[in-house]
Amino acid sequence: MHLKDIRDKIQQGRRITPEDALVLLQKSELLDLGELANEVRYRKNPKQDITFVIDTNPNYTNICNVDCVFCAFYRHAGESGEYTYTVDQMIQNFKRAAANGVTTVLLQGGVNPAIPFEYYIEMIERTKKEVPEIHPHFYSTTEIIGMSEVSGLSIPDVLKKLWDAGLRTIPGGGAEVLSDRVRKKMGHKKGTSEDWLNVMREAHKIGFKTTATMMYGHLENDEEIIEHLDRIRSLQDEYHGFTAFIPWSFKPGNTPLEKIIPHFASPIRYLQMIALARIYLDNFDHIQASWFSEGKKIGQVALHFGADDFGGTLFEENVHAEANFVNKTTVEEVIQLIHDSGFTPVQRTTLYERIKQYKTSSKI
Amino acid sequence: MNIITRDSLLYRVWQKVQQGERLSLEDGLVLFNTNDLIALGKMAHYVQQQKSGDAVYFVLNQKIEHTNICVLSCKFCDFAAKKGTDKAYEMTTGEILSKITPEIREVHITGGMPPDWEWERYIDIVKSVHQKFPDADVKAYTAVEIDFFHKKFKLPIEEILRQLQAAGLRTMPGGGAEIFTERVRKLLFPQKIVAKGYLEVHKTAHRLGIPTNCTMLYGHIETIEERLIHMIKLREAQDETGGFLSFIPLAFQPGDTGIKPKNQFTSAVDDLKTIAVSRLMLDNVPHIKAYWVMLTEEVASVALNFGADDIDGTVGQERIAHDAGAISPMELAKEKLIKIIQEAGKIPVERDAFYNPLNVYSENVIGKIPYLNSVPFYHHFEKGSFKILPVVPRHMGILSVQKQLDAGLFSLMDYFEQEESLELIDWCIATRDQVKSVMLFSKDGWADLHGKKIGITDDTATSVKLLKVILENKYNVRANFERLHRGVNDYSAYQAILLIGDEALKRNKFGLDGYELIFDLALEWYNWKKLPFVFAVWAARKTLPDNLKNELKQDIKKSLEASQGHFTEIGKIHDSRIGLSPEEIESYLEGFNYHLGEREKEAIREFRSLVHHTHANR
Repeated sequence: MHLKDIRDKIQQGRRITPEDALVLLQKSELLDLGELANEVRYRKNPKQDITFVIDTNPNYTNICNVDCVFCAFYRHAGESGEYTYTVDQMIQNFKRAAANGVTTVLLQGGVNPAIPFEYYIEMIERTKKEVPEIHPHFYSTTEIIGMSEVSGLSIPDVLKKLWDAGLRTIPGGGAEVLSDRVRKKMGHKKGTSEDWLNVMREAHKIGFKTTATMMYGHLENDEEIIEHLDRIRSLQDEYHGFTAFIPWSFKPGNTPLEKIIPHFASPIRYLQMIALARIYLDNFDHIQASWFSEGKKIGQVALHFGADDFGGTLFEENVHAEANFVNKTTVEEVIQLIHDSGFTPVQRTTLYERIKQYKTSSKI
Repeated sequence: MNIITRDSLLYRVWQKVQQGERLSLEDGLVLFNTNDLIALGKMAHYVQQQKSGDAVYFVLNQKIEHTNICVLSCKFCDFAAKKGTDKAYEMTTGEILSKITPEIREVHITGGMPPDWEWERYIDIVKSVHQKFPDADVKAYTAVEIDFFHKKFKLPIEEILRQLQAAGLRTMPGGGAEIFTERVRKLLFPQKIVAKGYLEVHKTAHRLGIPTNCTMLYGHIETIEERLIHMIKLREAQDETGGFLSFIPLAFQPGDTGIKPKNQFTSAVDDLKTIAVSRLMLDNVPHIKAYWVMLTEEVASVALNFGADDIDGTVGQERIAHDAGAISPMELAKEKLIKIIQEAGKIPVERDAFYNPLNVYSENVIGKIPYLNSVPFYHHFEKGSFKILPVVPRHMGILSVQKQLDAGLFSLMDYFEQEESLELIDWCIATRDQVKSVMLFSKDGWADLHGKKIGITDDTATSVKLLKVILENKYNVRANFERLHRGVNDYSAYQAILLIGDEALKRNKFGLDGYELIFDLALEWYNWKKLPFVFAVWAARKTLPDNLKNELKQDIKKSLEASQGHFTEIGKIHDSRIGLSPEEIESYLEGFNYHLGEREKEAIREFRSLVHHTHANR
């Protein structure tokens, strides 16, 4: 289909096909893509607001048996530098975070078969009870599959027990690129695309809200990017359980993939991903750009390419740090960055409820 | 092209941009104040593409900062040191030469202003670099330094520039402009020259044939209005001399300057807006530079879609910005620059100091002649598989020989030379009788030009041969030809001047001082041969795959058909730039035949045989 016809479709609010998306990605001028994405963004969210969450991303263990080639974070059991924290230690960590104004803890870890299922349940229950200011946003799909293996319970049963313990949202990491060709090359033990989608589907059925992510810029091609978007759009049609979509680029430092892919994907590619996602994922409310993953300046620019959320403050972050990618901020800086981009900063919860609006943008 | 925007004020400015109208200070405020970054970017990108097509220029350059000792104390500068302090250094000419490698094409020399250097030392730096590295163009000394020399050595500015030019200076950097308002100057750099002084140095350089860059330092204490006043002053100076090659907005790096908190860099949105607004306001400056050292590579790369068509170069050493905490690495390899430009969807074009293209790093490149008479071919051109590189006829020929171009509108002489590897495709630029844009401005009649010196525009490949053929075969006259350089020229040494393209068109209407006789070469030819004259032909490289050739043919046909009958529309866009009314432009364009028919082919044969059988081929 011709670019002009695809533009018309988008402007009329009609759904585009994977073929349309490929033409958009490959033939569109960067700013034409951004313009269309903005049109969709303001149709869904007419305010000149950008939301953010005060959060932190600690990890309870770095022991992992999945061996993904893109990961610099994991260690094997017994290897130097490995750790597994007790629930007590983690609760202390959360308390410190809460004292700093954190409302969301995004907790993830390696897949460590030495950890019993009860540990995960206890972590949720004690967080709810002992640090009520914190919303637990715990455990990726890969860990949930690991819990199912450790406990012998089915995925739905694991999810029900997590729900009963008080968990309401699940982070969307681990999706990488939902194409089996790519996933096989990246970590054969990580499971198929269907495994990730299946956990999400079961979670959405129960009532969990989750995010969806994409880590691009490694072994995938354009068609596989679109396949990824298409699969999450289809799942979203079923239960509308995704709150937001969050893309970021692969950081090759200290990973086995570093030799093949020595550079980050370009900032232009990031802007294309944000914009294309906004257009393609017509059933998602929020697209998240980040000051963290592509740098503060490109994060600011991405807010003009269809994103309406600036992610979290990420006070603690260890996974990217192991790939020599370190980027720090403060609440004040996040507010300033949003403001300087021409938007009104609004603090939100994990579920995208508004908490507090900051100074209105006065342009640049 | 159209833009979708929620900002109705911005849309009004867009309508002016589409009509090629000059923007006012108030328009500039609308641009800066919009929240619609994408629409602003699209407007600037539209102008960028009109001026530079898909090209983004870079240069293999080396920056030399011969000393950091400086008698001035500017508040925003972290670089300068006082003599005798630990940080102070001075480089000998030998040390300077040791920094330059043979592949370097531009040496950028600026530094502090030490109290005790002799004038000869500055001359010697330029002379030594020029002599040891003749392939590298010397770009040296900002207006602030020139003004310092003027005061310290008690020499007129023009004399200083003449001496530097004689030593090998080719162009000048644009540093030291900062912000042209007295309020900012008094607060931040009271010892520096005032706006008038800066502009006077540059205009003097332009008149001597030294093109220069111009800059603006933003993101400190200046207001948006002050930025716009700054741009407008540069635009006015450019109207006078036309000698600015590029404008470089420089993002302020706070560092330890104390003006702003150390890590408070300009926002990326401000950076991109400033690039875009400068592209839109500075309608007469050919290039806008995204200086990656200060913007970061990432923002510079995005800026290539927001109006910037130049990303500077490999730079070598960048001590000034680095001392104030710039977060880019010290060196970017050429490969990296190429990659950044390609990722932005553009053609990386390695250039010299004058923006002549040296190497083109892309496939499926079409050359575009940047003259009004070619506009009908490109005005409605939908690029599809192709990328567009604007080049003057002579460089189209050079790049094509080097196989760096795949198709384009070739000057007839270039087609003759490369006939073996090129295939004609149906269209051309042929006159019916007169042309109005290939003109000889002369002090004498044809017969009296014998033995005289004629200045020839550097852009031509075919017109110069046509002039020779007419002189030698029609009038039996031999004259001496001398190539003019690009930009501003001193014409006084020539008895006649050959100009082509839009410059000729403009001078044909308004005249060229001192040259009373104006000859239209196509009319001379027509009266002599009763044939049209073919200046250029569309051709593609024979090796271009058939599907692409067919796509190209379709693209050209469609664009031409969409343009024909709508020449006033083209006229309205280009009238203010060229100084002709839309109706004059319409009648000019209607004077061409764009189809390569039998009469045109006959004219080509006739011209070819004349070129082959006369002295004109020597």
